[in-house]
Amino acid sequence: MGLLDLLRKLKSDQNKELRILLLGLDNAGKTTILKSLASEEVTNITPTQGFNVKSVNSSGFKLNVWDIGGQRRIRPYWRNYFENSDVLIYVIDSTDRKRMEETGLELEELLADEKLSGVPLLVFANKQDLLQAAPASEIAEGLNLQTLRGRTWQIQACSALKGEGVQDGLEWVMKTVASKSKSKKKK
Amino acid sequence: MRLKRFLLRYYPPGIILEYEQSEQLKTKAIDLLDLRPEHDPAAVAQDLSMKEPLITKTRIPQVQKLVSKLQEKLVASEDHQFYLFKVLRAHILPLTNVAFNKSGSSFITGSYDRTCKVWDTASGEELLTLEGHRNVVYAIAFNNPYGDKVATGSFDKTCKLWNAQTGQCYFTYRGHIAEIVCLAFNPQSTVIATGSMDATAKLWDVQSGCELATLAGHSGEIISLAFNSRGDQILTGSFDHTVCLWDVHTGTQTTTLIGHRGEIANAQFNFDCSLIATASMDKSCKLWDVRTGQCVGTLRGHEDEVFDIGFNSTGQQIVSASADCTVRIYDAGTQRCVHVLEGHDGEVSKVCFNPRGHRVLSGSADKTARVWDTATGQCLQVLEGHTDEIFSCVFNYEGDTVLTGSKDNTCRIWR
Repeated sequence: MGLLDLLRKLKSDQNKELRILLLGLDNAGKTTILKSLASEEVTNITPTQGFNVKSVNSSGFKLNVWDIGGQRRIRPYWRNYFENSDVLIYVIDSTDRKRMEETGLELEELLADEKLSGVPLLVFANKQDLLQAAPASEIAEGLNLQTLRGRTWQIQACSALKGEGVQDGLEWVMKTVASKSKSKKKK
Repeated sequence: MRLKRFLLRYYPPGIILEYEQSEQLKTKAIDLLDLRPEHDPAAVAQDLSMKEPLITKTRIPQVQKLVSKLQEKLVASEDHQFYLFKVLRAHILPLTNVAFNKSGSSFITGSYDRTCKVWDTASGEELLTLEGHRNVVYAIAFNNPYGDKVATGSFDKTCKLWNAQTGQCYFTYRGHIAEIVCLAFNPQSTVIATGSMDATAKLWDVQSGCELATLAGHSGEIISLAFNSRGDQILTGSFDHTVCLWDVHTGTQTTTLIGHRGEIANAQFNFDCSLIATASMDKSCKLWDVRTGQCVGTLRGHEDEVFDIGFNSTGQQIVSASADCTVRIYDAGTQRCVHVLEGHDGEVSKVCFNPRGHRVLSGSADKTARVWDTATGQCLQVLEGHTDEIFSCVFNYEGDTVLTGSKDNTCRIWR
């Protein structure tokens, strides 16, 4: 990849490329989702100390997906990556009920940032393959997603490990971006 | 005119004359770029005396000694084997660039954690943390050869100038409207140039903190920037596929180098400022005549995008690094590829010669850096240990210490 490639991915060609930001608490499964999106093996994943970037092709678009480490001490640096984001994907560990409040607060802070204003939001309710997982509807309620204004959003139940639901989320992303660019053209 | 004293410059070989003219102390450099160990120092000194009036007959024995000294530096000593000296858990996020001061006594690291750190090379101790940027610190530089100041360019769109000893921030240069991704001091250390994703470069005054000029003309992001060794010209490489030459004093564009069919990755002058080498995503490198702005050759051979390019200190060889996992060495005169350096199993993103020019250092996505012999093209050493890809690698001036900066948040010192 190299530094130069990171610069290339900083500014994406609006007609052909999308910049997608993958955020969430540590151990939510962001890197597993990234690998699942890129159709890579999802074994041996270690905590992300910085970031991972992968390019995925989908319906004629090149998606540059940025997976940013979620540990508490590096969360203040999430802002480094906000610029020019087309879609925000927020990943939640549906089994981690103890940290539901914490993840809600982090999301709230993200959505309040002006650099992300109006950016479509996809929430992945991950780890649905586990018994103790909370259903997506319960998580949506916990996060007060219904009260969001001025933003298209969707919650998608998934299991990144099993590869279930991830593609559905991606389809929503593509549909949303397509309709967004259409409405832009009308203006 | 009266000669005061001689100074030696090892890389590239040269003798600096310090002389007095109308009561002013001046210097003049005699470049010996073609000096070889086998040359007769007496003959070289004799020849210099013929060309340079400051070197009178009585000075010839002295000059002869200096020439011998320069030659000693060019002769291969026993092979230096690098070993891992220190792992610096330098930053809490990936590193960007690393750079030595001229003597190699200290170095700096930039990071996604928004800081730049100053380190002591001998001990591996952290000396300073330069804090204040609000986003990634991407481009960093010492004002070599002085080394008393550090400049940092950030994704926060500003450039900062710091005291390298105390860490005091002298100035924050504001004006760019997008990320700063490259910067350089002029050789006199009076001007800082910054290049930005906003498609402009700017010149800033070191003394006053004022903006001196905006170099506008590119239609794409400026990704590389270099002063010539006199400091009167500046070179910018852009994602718009072109390279521009600018006059530093007037801030005007003098030449545009058009010919590449892909984004420019890097552009460099040779030492005597007669040639420019450019690397591009179009898989080729090109050589350009500085005076005419004409392309004088295309260096082919890479099978994928070329990410980095550099001259050796005398300007006689060129090295390039590519996504095709190879490094190539070209002869600048014949433009022939002399060696293909094979061994990396990932993209090679950074490459450079050591100042003496007999070694090449390459950094790769395969998490290793490699040291190569420029005479044979053989890989001498694989510097292994990083747990993620290497973003930057440099030699010190002596060529006996290597720094590698990685996405794994560490910096490693090899010596």
